[in-house]
Amino acid sequence: MINAKPTLRSTLHALLYLAPLLLITATFTIWPVINSFLMSCYTKYNYFTDHVGALGGADFVYLWHDPDFHLAVRNTLILVGGVVPLTVLLALGAALLLNRINWLAGFFQALYFLPFVTSTVALALVWNWIFHRDNGLLNLLLSWLGIAPIDWLNDPRYSLLALIIVCIWRGLGFSVILFLAGLNNIDQRYYQAASIDGASSGQILRQITLPLLTPTTVLITINAIIANFKVFDQVYALFHGSAGPANADLTMMYYLYQKFYIEHQYPVAAASGVILFGLIVSLTALSFWYFHRRSLRLGGGR
Amino acid sequence: MKRLRQLLLLGLCLLTTATLLSACVNHQKSSANPRVTVTFWHGMTGANKTTLNKLIHDFNQSQTKYKVVGRSQGNFSNLQQKITAAAKSKTLPTIAQTTYTNVPDYVAGGFVTSFDPYLSQSTLSDIYPAFLQANKYHGKYYTLPFSKSARVLFYNQDLLKQEGLSLPQTWGDIQKMGPALKAKGLTTMVFDQSYDAELDGLVAQSGGHLYPLNGKVTLDHKQTVAATHVIWDMLQNKTATTAGNDGYGSTKFFAGKTLFYSGSSAGISVMQASTPKGMHWATAPLPSYHGKQATAISCNDIALFKSASTAQRKGGAAFVKFLMRKKQTIYWAEKTGYVPLVKSAQKNKGYHQYLAKNPTAKAAVGSLDFGFQDATFPGYYQSRLALLKTIDAMTTEQVSPEKALSHLQTQMTKIIKAAQ
Repeated sequence: MINAKPTLRSTLHALLYLAPLLLITATFTIWPVINSFLMSCYTKYNYFTDHVGALGGADFVYLWHDPDFHLAVRNTLILVGGVVPLTVLLALGAALLLNRINWLAGFFQALYFLPFVTSTVALALVWNWIFHRDNGLLNLLLSWLGIAPIDWLNDPRYSLLALIIVCIWRGLGFSVILFLAGLNNIDQRYYQAASIDGASSGQILRQITLPLLTPTTVLITINAIIANFKVFDQVYALFHGSAGPANADLTMMYYLYQKFYIEHQYPVAAASGVILFGLIVSLTALSFWYFHRRSLRLGGGR
Repeated sequence: MKRLRQLLLLGLCLLTTATLLSACVNHQKSSANPRVTVTFWHGMTGANKTTLNKLIHDFNQSQTKYKVVGRSQGNFSNLQQKITAAAKSKTLPTIAQTTYTNVPDYVAGGFVTSFDPYLSQSTLSDIYPAFLQANKYHGKYYTLPFSKSARVLFYNQDLLKQEGLSLPQTWGDIQKMGPALKAKGLTTMVFDQSYDAELDGLVAQSGGHLYPLNGKVTLDHKQTVAATHVIWDMLQNKTATTAGNDGYGSTKFFAGKTLFYSGSSAGISVMQASTPKGMHWATAPLPSYHGKQATAISCNDIALFKSASTAQRKGGAAFVKFLMRKKQTIYWAEKTGYVPLVKSAQKNKGYHQYLAKNPTAKAAVGSLDFGFQDATFPGYYQSRLALLKTIDAMTTEQVSPEKALSHLQTQMTKIIKAAQ
């Protein structure tokens, strides 16, 4: 059956089975995407009556000249550039350590995973306390190192760093679990052969673990890029519905929210969504290309 | 097993019959006394929701024509998002709580209708003009006032007594206290995260307008810049501060080293509940500037939607008028901390007794005679966001009022032009 040649009848049959999911995807994913693309080209648009007065690229021109949008792109790129590599490195480190211990491994896995399933409001409350200038835990720890208190959430120089820390903490657990799954998939015979050959643990890590973890690393990197390009709720909750001091934490997603829900500039919001979409697609493609080239260079390839 | 299945089947049959019968009875009942259902979306939660439900219940009991069904949509932000989505999908309720500032968008969207056909002069004569002026857009009442609060001055009675100071009457008095208090490690005043409401009041007191009036932006006028300097200078010389990421200035006020806090009267009950042990505070109207008093009023109104049938609109208007009546608005004010909507409440014996028992509520009510709300206009929310960003830049990046307001003047002028 599996190897049978596809016919029109069998294709229709398969489509019938796929229809419910395709219908849901088309209604809730594809149609909104098409609609946002269309809306980004409306220049005189009444959102409620759906009346389009004119079409054109004025919304993109607006974004091109809007300093707030430039700031949002800059902040988002810094955020992604800061969070993604650190999340991958820290998650890999944590997964390698967790993989070595048997005792309490489950407990630590659950501990790492907790931030991922905690509500954003709860995490904002906790992090508001950690980052508090006068009574915060972080400043207490820094004071032991002789560092003067930092106003993490009110000083525009530090508030983006605060957001980066929260985003890393939030996404770490999920990445650790994925890395652990990747590590478990590596055939133990490679390690046995390496130890017979007398390879050091550093060599084993560089020559066996890391190359064989490449597919998982790609998955985690792509996942982290997408998730961090779309950061919104952490900003909203951490800064009580604002984009941080002096807009220092204005991300592209937050900009979109402001334009849509606060300023009611619906086509501009749609245009910013289109640019966000383009950026995510480009960076995802770039990462794919990089990892593909790297695995080819290592002699692997898929 | 077979017997059990038979029993379950019998139970199911009985349940279905009972449900069908009760539905028929209900239908008969409702057809015997048809009431028009008026749906009302609001953003009230907790104790305020209970009070509102009581008022809805009272209205439903008071007449036989309409039945108001209230539905809380969570917080105000959720409520606004829900209204936007419902307007798009044409599933709006009859009436909803919203702010009058949304009216230009609603009118442009063509889904709001005015209360005018259901209003008489006598209905409105007792309502504070400050509310009604703002409710009027293009000569029509698209919204009517509902939950209103005023900015008031909270003061630490213990600190004021300790420092031998009397209650400031003018903003100048507050400015003068600053240096001496700072030398003792005390802060004179704390504002919320943004001081837009206080600035709005100060600019109004100086005879200007923080928001455009009749399409004219006057932010770079001398008096507006001077009014902005009142707060900015205090922030610069560190005699005043803002709440920053705490959101509300009450947190810093309760730390016990700040004499005054300018905040909303809607927060009084929350503040009473979280006052540190042994601390005593009271409220007063905000001080005057240039010999004039003007206090910004904020909070919510109720809008009537076009999608409702004529009977529903009548019912919605009847309910809103019921809420604005003296008895109901006093009950609402006493239970929630919002201010009463009618002037005659100030002469009401029962309300006087309430104020005597709750002196912190006096300042807000006393401020209503000189309270004001800015007129709304197309592009209001864009202008407001630009204003909030400017205030933030003046606070966190120490941008001077001259530079910040000049930039905002250009921005707002552009926004107004584009929105027309």
